[in-house]
Order: sequence, then structure tokens, then C-alpha cells
Amino acid sequence: MIFGALDIETVSQLTANGIINGAAYGLLGVGFALILGVTGRFHFAYSITYTLAAYFMFTLWDRVGLPIWPAVLLGILAATVLGVSMEQYVYRPLAVRAGATALLAIFVASLGLTIAGSNLVQLFWGSENQILEGPQQEVINWGDVAFINFDLWSVISAVVLVLILAALMRYTDLGRQIKATRVNPELAEIIGISSHRIYLIVFAIGTFLAGSAAFWYSLKFSIDPAMGLRPVIFAFVVAFLAGTASSPIRVFLTGVAVALLEQYTSIWLSVRWTQTAVFVVLLVYLVVLAFEPRRVILSMFPQLAREKV
Amino acid sequence: MEHVDSLVTRATSGNGESPDMLVVDGLFTGYGRKQVVFDVSLRVGRGEIVALLGHNGSGKSTTIRSILGLLPAQRGTIHYQDRNVTSLSSSHRVKDGMAMIPSERFVFADLTVLDNLLLGAGKENDDDVRRQRLEQVYELFPVLRERSSQRAGTMSGGQQRMLSLGLALMSAPTLLMLDEPSLGLAPIVVEQIFDTVGRLAREENLSVLLLEQNVGQAMRILDRAYVMRSGRLILEETAEQMRARDSYWDLF
Amino acid sequence: MEIWINYLDQVLIFVVFAVSLNLLLGYAGQVSVAHAAFGAIGGYAMGYLVIEHGWNYIPAVLLGALAAMIVGTVVALPALRLSVEFLILLTLAVSLVTIGIFTTFPVLGGTYGLIGIPQAQIFGYELAEPRDWILPLLIAAVIIYLLCRRMGESAYGRVLKGLREDPDATRSLGKNVFAYKVSVFAVTSAMAGLAGGLYSGYLQLATPGVYSFDTSLKIFAIVIFGGIANLMGSVLGAFVVVLTEPILERQPFIDLDARDASLIQLVIYGLLLVVLMMLRPQGLLPEGFSIWRWLKGERRAGTRVEMEAEGWVPDIDPASLVVTPGGSEEAREREWHEAPVVLEVRGLSKRFGGIVAAQELDMDLHRGTITALVGPNGAGKTTVFNLLTGFIRPDAGSVRLNGTELVGKSPEQVARLGLVRSFQDVRIVPRLSCLQNVMLGVQDQTGEHMGKLFYAPRKSDADERRTRERAMEWLQFVGMAEFADVPGAALSFGQSKLVALARVLATEADVLLLDEPASGIDTKWVDTMLDLVEAVKHQGRTVCIVEHNLHVVGRLADHTYFMELGMITAQGTIAELTSSERLAEAYFGTSTRA
Repeated sequence: MIFGALDIETVSQLTANGIINGAAYGLLGVGFALILGVTGRFHFAYSITYTLAAYFMFTLWDRVGLPIWPAVLLGILAATVLGVSMEQYVYRPLAVRAGATALLAIFVASLGLTIAGSNLVQLFWGSENQILEGPQQEVINWGDVAFINFDLWSVISAVVLVLILAALMRYTDLGRQIKATRVNPELAEIIGISSHRIYLIVFAIGTFLAGSAAFWYSLKFSIDPAMGLRPVIFAFVVAFLAGTASSPIRVFLTGVAVALLEQYTSIWLSVRWTQTAVFVVLLVYLVVLAFEPRRVILSMFPQLAREKV
Repeated sequence: MEHVDSLVTRATSGNGESPDMLVVDGLFTGYGRKQVVFDVSLRVGRGEIVALLGHNGSGKSTTIRSILGLLPAQRGTIHYQDRNVTSLSSSHRVKDGMAMIPSERFVFADLTVLDNLLLGAGKENDDDVRRQRLEQVYELFPVLRERSSQRAGTMSGGQQRMLSLGLALMSAPTLLMLDEPSLGLAPIVVEQIFDTVGRLAREENLSVLLLEQNVGQAMRILDRAYVMRSGRLILEETAEQMRARDSYWDLF
Repeated sequence: MEIWINYLDQVLIFVVFAVSLNLLLGYAGQVSVAHAAFGAIGGYAMGYLVIEHGWNYIPAVLLGALAAMIVGTVVALPALRLSVEFLILLTLAVSLVTIGIFTTFPVLGGTYGLIGIPQAQIFGYELAEPRDWILPLLIAAVIIYLLCRRMGESAYGRVLKGLREDPDATRSLGKNVFAYKVSVFAVTSAMAGLAGGLYSGYLQLATPGVYSFDTSLKIFAIVIFGGIANLMGSVLGAFVVVLTEPILERQPFIDLDARDASLIQLVIYGLLLVVLMMLRPQGLLPEGFSIWRWLKGERRAGTRVEMEAEGWVPDIDPASLVVTPGGSEEAREREWHEAPVVLEVRGLSKRFGGIVAAQELDMDLHRGTITALVGPNGAGKTTVFNLLTGFIRPDAGSVRLNGTELVGKSPEQVARLGLVRSFQDVRIVPRLSCLQNVMLGVQDQTGEHMGKLFYAPRKSDADERRTRERAMEWLQFVGMAEFADVPGAALSFGQSKLVALARVLATEADVLLLDEPASGIDTKWVDTMLDLVEAVKHQGRTVCIVEHNLHVVGRLADHTYFMELGMITAQGTIAELTSSERLAEAYFGTSTRA
């Protein structure tokens, strides 16, 4: 029964789909894991920075009339500024004020930003889908597998971005400082690393990655006010499954694995179930985690060592 | 090898007169509601090794954290190299030459030895200077050179301590504050570390503020000592006076 | 007019949602974004039973609530051990999976959900118009409100708050926080299921849209606005949130159509959530705020105390401190040996990786005496307390309290058997008043049992009064009676230590382990603290202290154990210990090396 549906063409196509989707999930997971791992902030509003990146690029291209590539770049940068501002003007003052209850307060504030943001989007841009038109869409066929040119570029750009980030983390001073802040924030402060500065940088990087992912999505599909929610939930899933202490490459590969899982389950389950299947995996993972020894949790999520687990 | 730069920036004397690197006056500090340090005044001269002794919980760590700027001073002043640094941020004070090694979690355990050391040199942009300092640290502690790509957390306690000292020295400090460096270490390792510290103070004019419970080992290198109890300074003595005591129990 | 009745009905439904979430989130501190999902279970279950099986409305709603309760209990189990971030993620996953499952089954309407649920009938009377619903919904809302209030403001609720702020400290007082977590999840998800049954009955719909993640966020927002642990605030919050939209539509200032009004409403409360967190993280109405008391003009006792007022000393009745002056050190040592052994520790061992925290540790605590544990840094003294009280499980060894083996028991079991501890960092519950903190220590309170709150109400209330009286006595004993209604957060470190001592005394445990009782206390009244500890001993309790200040040890201890690197290497009086050369070396390092 099971293997009847399995032929090499189907599996290849599903694999291709998985890699294409996985590049996006992975990219978002890397961004979110970086933010959560280094700052400890549950940045739920990551979803609205994703959405707004798309809307900013759209506005620059459609209303202001810029050519597509400058519009895209400026759109992503604008979203990045927004993300950094959230840390500077909302999260950080809140963390200072709220002390022990900071985690919950930041989560609630993040929630508020998301609610406000997504509805503001609808107010200003309407609830209908907007279309971003860039280069011509073309179908590409590699043997049994079909995809479009956007897919290819999105995967390549995602891989490139992740490799650049990995190199940054490994070989530069900044990368070392970011890792130091994540691994031992007190000592980082003692040797003079400004956590303030590092947090801002990390938010910038994370938001930039989200903006890039938003671009490819907008190009392939369309732009709508709720576009941020689902991808970002996948970002959470990927970040938690990979662990926030993992290198960018590992988080990225986890994203690809999650997308492949989603694709492969469609062999056995109807499409309606595949999405739910991913969340079920998350659920199972969390349940297992709940009964795992603390040591394992702390090694994967070092930021929890700062707080009571 | 030419010693173009030493591991310690020779302290330039500002207006030339004060022999003191660090002057703390009337410091009150604590954590939020918990007042821990009451009216502490101390000074450390250039090239001096001064110990701050006292029982656990007497406020020693809190005092040096405040000196470094991790905790705000509620009352009192801190002068460093003749400048009032009381309201400056800790990263500022570190740039000016203060360095501290905490008593716990004193290395970046998940990072390599080399990464740890490079982090210590953070504020130095000149690659040549950094490489030289790295060389000097490796000369001081050859074991670090052998294990430069090993994860710091997998080394022994003594090796980690050496790394923490190397980390601090990479920033070419003028004032080094050590929080219980002997904790959990074998006596022979403690001796080695204290010898190194003593030598740096003598040869390179490094000022050292040393927090210790292990009075015996500290006695070999220190010039003066302060004693704290329950947040207050109860005693200041020179090394000779300390050595003349027949027991240290009253200090605790 | 009809429109406003429609909104009133919705307010009442959301009151049920919000008040139950407040019990879970506000009182017990469990951050759940899945509340609407439990509503979905109730709503879908009700709809399915009515449509497919022709059930009557009320039984269908009740079964829906039961289904939600079962799922809620299952969810609680992993939630027991997860921190806040993971709990948020878990409830998020539950939310998504639940809706995902519902949209998959055609019999539940697939992506469209259940539409066309027949009009509800209660005892033959059809609820055709919105105004027909007012009475049933009002009754439901009032009942749920009263239930939540009864639970929240009782001894049970007090433990929930302890669980919210500091689960470990609460366990150390003998409360099984896991059981509380499960029970509060079960009850509140049942209530959410009930709300779902009502909501779907009212709308005659059970769709993914009705119970979307947005709805969960809406309920969450109502609770946050209204105030953590403030049920009246949740009621007001429900009014505000539900009525904002129609009010915005109808206001005369800016012309807004229905769609814009709905969007602006959401923007407003999104921004308000942010602003609220910045200004008042605890919500609009503070915890424990009561409209009645506010109207009567009672203001809350000093909440802005930053540090102790100059010259403050605890207000202790000197009579309670009258002790026969302690004899010589040798005399006290002799008495120590003669008193019977209460706690017997043999061969206690524990390693953490390469670090030896305890190694073949042998210790005895004798009844009615003070034993001290001293040693250099890193000797492992606080770890010993953790091992004795069950917070850490030893690798080997035995701990017998009056003959009963403690190893292997949980901290709450150990506490109930008569061994309690205080913490170095104090850990009193900041948002409870001093009196409530001490009441948390009292054992076997009837009202802590959720069931007994309801089927034995008079006994629970009488017991609560007795608990309050006893707690007040202990508070008076430590000289903090005037601070009875002051929240823990407003105290200085030293004052909170006094309250923690009262709390530990309130457990009436045989053996008290006090971790650094004198540290961090203003030198002006540190002697009073020491007097208190001595008075405790003279009441017949057995005390063990960990201390670094050897003067304190000299004053208090009848017998002292010296600990080094996880082992007891010497014991006796302080004079004996300090005259030992070998010990001096261990404590201070080698003393003579030129």
C-alpha cells in the first residue's frame, strides 16, 4: 500500500519541493534562532517584520515607482530598521523595567506589536492580495523535476546568506562577540562587550534574513496581510528543533529537514494533514523534551541558563 | 624577540603626581534592595598587589563588580588613573585598562581557546599587536598554544584558569582584578598562577587587586591587604603585618 | 437596541473565557495561548453531538466541556516540566494541531467547520433571539466567575501564586506544585470548553475562524488588560474589548465603516498591550485590587518602600526572646551530644561530572540544638542542603529523619515529613503580602484542596481563618506584624529574611535548615536575628545553619561541622576548630612559604 505511491519521479519532485521550501524555513529559522539564542527574547513580532518587508518593497516599487531591485533592497532595509527599533525602543526598555517578569512582558509586547502591525497593514494597504512583479517567471525542468527560476534563485540566495553568516560567526571579531554574548553574557560584559550593541546587530541580521525570505515568497506568490504568521511559526519550529546554540548551517539544514518531512508525509497522508503533521512533530518533540534531563535542554538552549528553567 | 609592546600598557602618569592607579572612596553598593557594601574606601598603587580578604558573602565580589562598573555605586566615588570614572559604563572602563576575572564561569566554555583569547583583545584593532600579545600569552602558558583549537570547557580547571588570565592579559590592562583565582585548584597550579601574577606586577608595573580566601598563597605576592566583614572594611595591613599574625581566624 | 444585546451576549461569553484564562495565567502563571483551542474542542463537540446525534443542548455543552478538560489534563503533563518559552510554544502547537485536526475531518465540516448548528433549546424553550440568551449566559458567567474567584482567593489560589512566582520555594514548603498545575489546567480548560459550547451555540457555528489563533490572542489581551489575577479586571476587559469595535463605528468624530472600525480596534489594543507592558507590566488593575475597598477609601499599605527606614529594627516582643544565657562552648557541646539524634546522615555522596559535591558525608543533628556547617568556598555546603531536602538526588547514602528514610522523596514530601529549609537568596513571593507568604508555610490547609473548597466550604473557611491567625503569630514573633499587608516586593533584604524565617517556622517542622541566616542584614539588628534563631532552638526545634561568618557561628552553634571538598573533615566547638593548624591550612592555604 505505502510503496505503491512511491515512484522515483514523485519522490524527486517532493524532494525538490522540500529543498525549495526548506530554504525559506531554514533562513527564517536561522534568523529567529539567532535572535532568541543571543538575546533570549521571544520575538513574536518577527512575523510582522517579514510581512512589512514585503509591503515596503511593494510600495516602493508600485507607488513610488522604483525599479524592482532597488525597491527590494530598500524594502528589506526598511524592515531591518523596524526590527532594530523594536529592540531599541520596546524590548530593551521593557527588559530594564520588568526585571524578573521580563520574559512574559516582552512576549506580550511582541504580541501587541504583531496585532497592531498586521491590522495597520490592512488599514493602509487593504486586505486584498498585492502582486509584486519582478523578472519573468520561467519553468525549469531538470529530468523529472519541475520548478521555476525564482525557486532556484531563492535557494541559492538563502544558501549564500547562511554561508556568509556562518563565516561571519566563525572568522570575524563580531561573530566571536555574538557567540560570546550568547554563551556567557556576564563574562562578555566583563570583558567590555556591549550587549546593547550586540543585540541591535543580531536583530538587524535576523530581520534582514526574514526580509529576504519575504521577497522570494512575494515574487512567487503574492503579498497579503497574514503572510507572516505561517512562515514564522515554521521559524519557531526550526529554531527549537535545531536548538539556538547550533551553528547557522545546522539550523538551516534543520529547516530543510522539516520541509522535506512536510513533503514526504504527503505520500501517506492527504495534503490537509501535512501541515498539521509538522506541528504534531513539534508537539511530540516538546513532550519528549519535557521528560528529558535538564542538562540536554541547557546545552541546546544556553540562554535558559540565565533564567530559572 | 623584540618587546615592542608589553602585555601591560605602561601606565602613563596623567598629571604625574598620584602614585595610585585606583582610588575608591566611600563606596556603597548592592543589588537592588540588598545593600551589600557599606562605606568601603581603598586604593591600589601602580604596580602594587593589594589583596581584599574576607569571608564568603562579605562583599568582596560586589565591591570589585562595582569598581568595574557592572553595578552602579549608590554612594561614593571611584577614581581610576586620576580620573573620576564613577558614572562611566563598564565597557568604557575596560577600554581604559581595567580587567576582571570572575570567580565562576571565567572562560567562554563553548568557544575555542583561540577564540577566547582573541575576544580578550577585543578593543585592539591592529592585527600585529594582537598577534604579538597572543605570542606572549602563549609563552606565559604554553599549554594554551598546544590546545588553541580545543573547546575551553573541555580543559581542566587549572588550564581554564590560565586561559582566563590569558584572556585578561590580551587586553593589555593596567589594573587587573582577580576574584578567588585559587578556587578549586591544586596548590601547585595556584602557585604557578600567583607567581605569574607577581612577576607581571613587578616587571610590567601591573596593578593587581586580588580577592582571596586562600590567604596563605596570596601572602607570597601581596604588598598590602584589606579585610572585609559583612560589607564593611575592618582592617588594612601591610604584608609584613599580616605575616606577623599567628592566626587568620579573627579576620573571618 | 438589538445590536447592543448581541454585544452583551458576546461580552458574557468572553467573560467566561477571560476569567478562566486569568485563573490559569494570572494566578498560576501558566502562559497559554491555547485557550480558544479548548473552546474549539467544546464548541465542535457540542455542534457534532447536536447535529449528528441529535443531543440536547445542555448535555452536549457539558460533554464538550468534559472533552476539553481531558485534553487540558493531557496537555498539562508535559507542561509540568517546561519553562515559559517552551510552554508558550507547546500551547501554540496544541492550538494549531487542534484546529488542524478539526479542519481535516469532513464530519466536522472540514475547512468550513460546522455551520447551521440548530438553535439551542433549554428545557424546551428555544433561544431564538439574542435577548433570549442573556439570562442563560449571565447565569453561566456569574457561576464561572464565582468558581474562579473562590479558587483564586483561597488557600488553593495562594499556592497557585506561589507556583507562579517560585515553584521550588513553594515545593520546599510541602506543596506538590505538579498536582496544582495539572488541576488548574484541567479546570480552566473545562471552563474554556464550556465557553466554546456557549459560543458555538450562540453563533450556531463552530468554525476554524471562530476559534482561530486571533481569538486566543484576543482572550489573552483581555486578561492582560484587566490585570493579572484580577478577575473583575477581566470582566471589565471583556466589556472594553468587545465593545470597542461597535463604539468606534458609531462615534461622531471620524467617519469609519465597519471594516475600518474593526481594524482600528485591533490596532488600538495591540498598541495598548505594548504601552501597558512598558508602564504597568502587571496590568491596569493591580493584583488584589478590589473595587469595594477602593471605594471605601482604603489605600494599599506602603508599596514604595525602597530600603529600610533609617534606624528600623524589627518590632519583637522581648518576652518571646527570653532565653537562658547560653553556657560555655563546652557545656553546649555536651548538651548537643546528650540530646537525641533527629536527623541522621550516613554516607551521603554526589558527583556532578568531575566535581565531587559530597563524599561519604556523615552528619547528625540533635534535637533542640543548633548545628553549624562551615568550610571554605566551594566546599559544597549549600549542595548538602539540596541533597538533604530532596532537591538533588544523592548518588549514595541515607538520610533518616526520626527513623524515616528521606532519600528518594520529593522536596514537598520531605517538607511534609518535617524537614524544611530557607534559601540563601530568601525567595519570598514578591506579589503576595507578608502575611500571605507566611500562610503559605502552614501545613495541611483544608482550603488548599480544590475539591474541599466546594464540598466542605465552611471547614475550608474556618481553617483559613485559623491559618491566618497562626501566621500572624509567627509574623509577630519575628517582629514584622506591621508589614502584614505589605507585598513581599516592597521589603528590604533583611526584612524579607525575617518573613522567610516566619514562613519556615509556620511549617512547624521538626528540623530547620537555615542557609546563611545572618548575611545581608543590617549590622544594627543582626544580633536580634541571632536572638530569634536561638529562641527558635529553645522552643525545641532542631536547627542547622550554614554560615561563613565565624563570629555568628561562635555565638549560635552548639556543635560545628567543618566541610572541605565535599567531606566532613573535622567537628567540635569553634574554639577547637580554629585552634587546629591543619584546618587553618585548609581554610587559608599554606601559611608559611617565603
